[in-house]
Amino acid sequence: MSSETATMTVANAPSHRASRIDRFLMQGGIVITFLVVAVVATALIEPRFLNRLNLLNVMRNFALLLIPSLAQMLVMTAGGFDLSVGAVVAATSVVTAAVMLVGSGYFPGMELVVILASLVIALGVGALVGLVNAGLVATFSLSPFMVTLAMMSVLMGIALYFTQGIPIYGVADSFIANVGRGQFLGLPIVLWIGLAVLAACIVMQRFTSLGRHIYAVGSDQRSARLSGVSTGRTLLVAYMLAGLLAALTGFLMTSRLGSGQSTIGGTLALETIAAAVIGGVSLRGGVGRAELVALAALFLSVIANAMNLVQVDSKYQTLVLGAVLIISLAIERLLLRKRQS
Amino acid sequence: MLEVTGFTKRFRGVAALDNVDFSLNEGEVHALLGENGAGKSTLINLIAGTFPWAEGVYRINGRTITSLTPHVAQEIGIAAVFQEFSLVPDLTVVENIFLGREQSSGLFLKRKQMRQAAVELLDSLGFHLPLDENVAFLSRAQKQMVEIAKALRMSPKVLILDEPTASLTDGEAEKLFNAVALLKARGVGIIYVSHRMSEIRNLSDRVTVLRGGKKIGTVVTAEISDEGLIEMMVGRPVEQLFPKIEHKPGPVRLEVRDLTTEKRSVIGASFTARAGEVVGLAGLVGCGRSELCRAVFGLEVVETGAIMLDDKAVERPTPTSMLAANVCYFPADRGSEGLALARSARENATMSSLDLPELSSGPVLKFWRENETIKTPLANLALRPMAPERKASAFSGGNQQKLMLARGLMKPFEVYLFDEPTVGIDVGAKADVYNLIKSLVEAGACVVVSTSELPELINLASRVYVMHEGKVVAELAKHELSEAQVLSHYFGGHA
Amino acid sequence: MSMEAKTQPMARLSGLSLMDVLRVARLPIAIVVVLMLFGLVEPRVLSLGNFRNIALQTSYLAIFAMAQTMVLLTRGFDLSLGYTVSLVSVAASMAMVAMGGGDASILYGVGAALLVAGVIGLANGVLIAGIGINPLVTTLGMANIVLAFASTISGGFPVTGLPKGLTAEFAQRSPLSIPMPIWIAALVFVLLFLVLKATRFGRSLYIIGANPRAAVAAGIRTVPVLVAAYTLCALLAALGALLLTARTGSGEPNLGGNLTLEAIAAAVVGGVRLSGGEGGVGAAVLGALFVTVLSNGMNLVQIDGYLQQICLGVIIIVSLIVNRDDARR
Repeated sequence: MSSETATMTVANAPSHRASRIDRFLMQGGIVITFLVVAVVATALIEPRFLNRLNLLNVMRNFALLLIPSLAQMLVMTAGGFDLSVGAVVAATSVVTAAVMLVGSGYFPGMELVVILASLVIALGVGALVGLVNAGLVATFSLSPFMVTLAMMSVLMGIALYFTQGIPIYGVADSFIANVGRGQFLGLPIVLWIGLAVLAACIVMQRFTSLGRHIYAVGSDQRSARLSGVSTGRTLLVAYMLAGLLAALTGFLMTSRLGSGQSTIGGTLALETIAAAVIGGVSLRGGVGRAELVALAALFLSVIANAMNLVQVDSKYQTLVLGAVLIISLAIERLLLRKRQS
Repeated sequence: MLEVTGFTKRFRGVAALDNVDFSLNEGEVHALLGENGAGKSTLINLIAGTFPWAEGVYRINGRTITSLTPHVAQEIGIAAVFQEFSLVPDLTVVENIFLGREQSSGLFLKRKQMRQAAVELLDSLGFHLPLDENVAFLSRAQKQMVEIAKALRMSPKVLILDEPTASLTDGEAEKLFNAVALLKARGVGIIYVSHRMSEIRNLSDRVTVLRGGKKIGTVVTAEISDEGLIEMMVGRPVEQLFPKIEHKPGPVRLEVRDLTTEKRSVIGASFTARAGEVVGLAGLVGCGRSELCRAVFGLEVVETGAIMLDDKAVERPTPTSMLAANVCYFPADRGSEGLALARSARENATMSSLDLPELSSGPVLKFWRENETIKTPLANLALRPMAPERKASAFSGGNQQKLMLARGLMKPFEVYLFDEPTVGIDVGAKADVYNLIKSLVEAGACVVVSTSELPELINLASRVYVMHEGKVVAELAKHELSEAQVLSHYFGGHA
Repeated sequence: MSMEAKTQPMARLSGLSLMDVLRVARLPIAIVVVLMLFGLVEPRVLSLGNFRNIALQTSYLAIFAMAQTMVLLTRGFDLSLGYTVSLVSVAASMAMVAMGGGDASILYGVGAALLVAGVIGLANGVLIAGIGINPLVTTLGMANIVLAFASTISGGFPVTGLPKGLTAEFAQRSPLSIPMPIWIAALVFVLLFLVLKATRFGRSLYIIGANPRAAVAAGIRTVPVLVAAYTLCALLAALGALLLTARTGSGEPNLGGNLTLEAIAAAVVGGVRLSGGEGGVGAAVLGALFVTVLSNGMNLVQIDGYLQQICLGVIIIVSLIVNRDDARR
């Protein structure tokens, strides 16, 4: 009897493993197919796509979508949702510009100090928002969706109240030149920053206990708690990291736009959720990998660029985004259903 | 080594555990025995720190402990394997074994070392598991093994095992018993919860029996007979708990032919059930008997095979069509599939009968007649308290079960499918459920009971089918029904 | 089991305590308190004219909150509600203008409104119930699709030249000196109250919301019920959109921008549970009244519109926390 069970497990092992690789291929396959089709189609329809300047532009936009998408992924793999991502970007953009404006008055000529100060303060704001989100979600076990929806309203209100919707100018020139438009080894600085964040996320997910705990809390909070994982602290770290990444995005966005704007980030919640979902992040938490989310973000950046090149009204771009989100979820659902049979 | 005195715990003012003393020595296996709802799981949960106790003193190695969380309990050497697993489905076996106790140097995990440690741990237990597979893809027995390995990762001094063999085949169970012996020799104290007399006899040094949240007594296992233990556990002779059912098998009402579900939880199963008899479905947890009932009711997708009601094949069963065909199913898990806990008792009792002419005409719901309609069923079941407007969640387990069963009395059904009808309810409510089954059968209904409680099958059923790994492996007639006979087929060996 | 760890307060045994009264009637009390506070700062808040104004404003929001409640009861969500209102307003207006803009064209407007909303609601319902996609993400995606249409079909401009009768009949007329929108909201309330209380559909909404799996096992056909719930929600949104269009006298692409959040806020404040199965149209109306009283007061004491947005967020969170306790089972 015991030898029978042993052979049974051995015999089962390869099929189990196959199923796992399968799942990765299925999700990775969808993303990569989407990406390749988008790139090839765009290049064929609109040769200007392959233009060096245009590609640099795509890369910058990609980086600025990648970072908040990774933020969204962190929260979603922990079983949450962050609708406030776009609002944090808007608020920290305003904060960055405001600090620079005020700071350069007090410390004329010390641009680097002022820039760093604005970064630190923006990151502080992002972390604080994450702290409040996580505090409400974990302490009162409220729906993350509702909490971050309300938080979005609050942050947008604050940003708009202080600026009355008017952009804040007076951002340091060297900031715009070196960060927003800067290049290193022929690639945009913001892309390097985005890739660094991506690498950090991959390492965190694979090689640290924090990464494991985030998956565990998202997959089954009760089991995680019983296993000795501090679920509250894990959620806190996940939301705060997400806030920090969103704040970093706001900071970089300011350097790209050359001003602090309270009106940016309106569709970012949708875009980041779309990137995460297309990249295989489960809406129920516990599943999701940074590298696939990055590919999905690249895909979305490419189609956004393609639509710009063929001059699709920007309002229709949100239509495409919404449709892509729903279609990719429907495909996943239908594939899952088929696989079970 | 471990000693608790005067332990008391109340849920909603009802004492789940009342002034219980319990002690455990080094290297001892101390069995906990009691029916569902006797307080066993409350006691082990308190010891493992899942929730706080209301009154009582907790001492371990001479130290008095005032409060406990699962995390702290693990630190002081108390590990528990509950029936409800604490595994994370989206992590692998190795990742689960070390979850919450990862070894790392600096920021980074020592993945190789943990893997090696997991291999050694599983080898020492004799468990063979696919280390890098997500737990979601493991069988229940494999999950059970992961859970046990996980409990032992910290080299605990006290190990709590809650019905660890409920889903193991006997080969796997043998490995578990060897592991228990090994741990015992190392001086680990083990609290062992089980229903199975043979295990208690073979493994344990002492037995503590609980009933209705109270401690009945602690005895040395070698000094008491099985009958003595049962008497302590049930509190009355077995005959009083189970009513005598007059089986008058009539025509075949329900026939299942060669049924295989889409998820392969049931493979080629066949059985028949006649009017006026109770047919039992036996087998380990996860053997497919639940899924068989669910498939008949249209809750599992059927791939091949036929379901016949009164000799007529049912095409594509759905709960709606089966209810209309006078088939009634009571799910095993009241909370997740049976009741709308946030709604009133009234709405829960009527939710499957809203199409009856008493309750509706067309789309209009005759809510003003609802209370009238449910009065008799609820009174027959002796719902306590008789408060139809109270939320279902505010009733005790036994009375929640009655709310669900009331649905079966709203109209005369012909076939009743009971899945684990007495899980988590007290002895009094159990007797009520058994009497309900008796009255249904004697009125000519066809009753199918799927249960893990062997005494129920032996005392209620006229015939029993035993299932193993999705297949029906044996059919036993009334005169063949004994605990040993049924169990001998549990592992598929003698089919 | 661990859920049961919280024991009921002993107060229940000693009859109705002050705490009980406060708990049950906290929202009406809060409404009165808010009115009083604003009244102290600005006496006009407590004038009869302003009460009438509050009632009128509430009637619009109440319709949207009741619409949202239909899906919240099923554990669902409709984030596309606001933009549905925008699109319906524009589409219905364009239909009326295209049909000549006379009073007879109102019918075409209503037809267009029902058609547009019906398609949106049906699509939401099929995606959510039929295919099984998460309602939050489905309606978030749908919201953006609808927004794209709303902001482009009229070139992004308000549609003018609507029939005079529309505004006269559905915004200005006041039978028994009660404005038409209040009559309509009251009618919707009564109808929905009856639907929830006295139809199998209504009961099914509650059971599905409280426990979808139990609903299936009890033989309730969940897919058609859910599809109907999302369609009903969109149709009610269309009704509200027509009333708002009648009030402004033009089709507005930006009409519904904040309505999604306000409708959810009203329902949640009123005590409709996000976990499904609890609450009703009464709660939605009361919640709408509270939100309206608050924004009306803030307008009268001239608090910046953006600050009001902050308030809305804070109110949602506070009411989630306050209502949380009774939800503990």
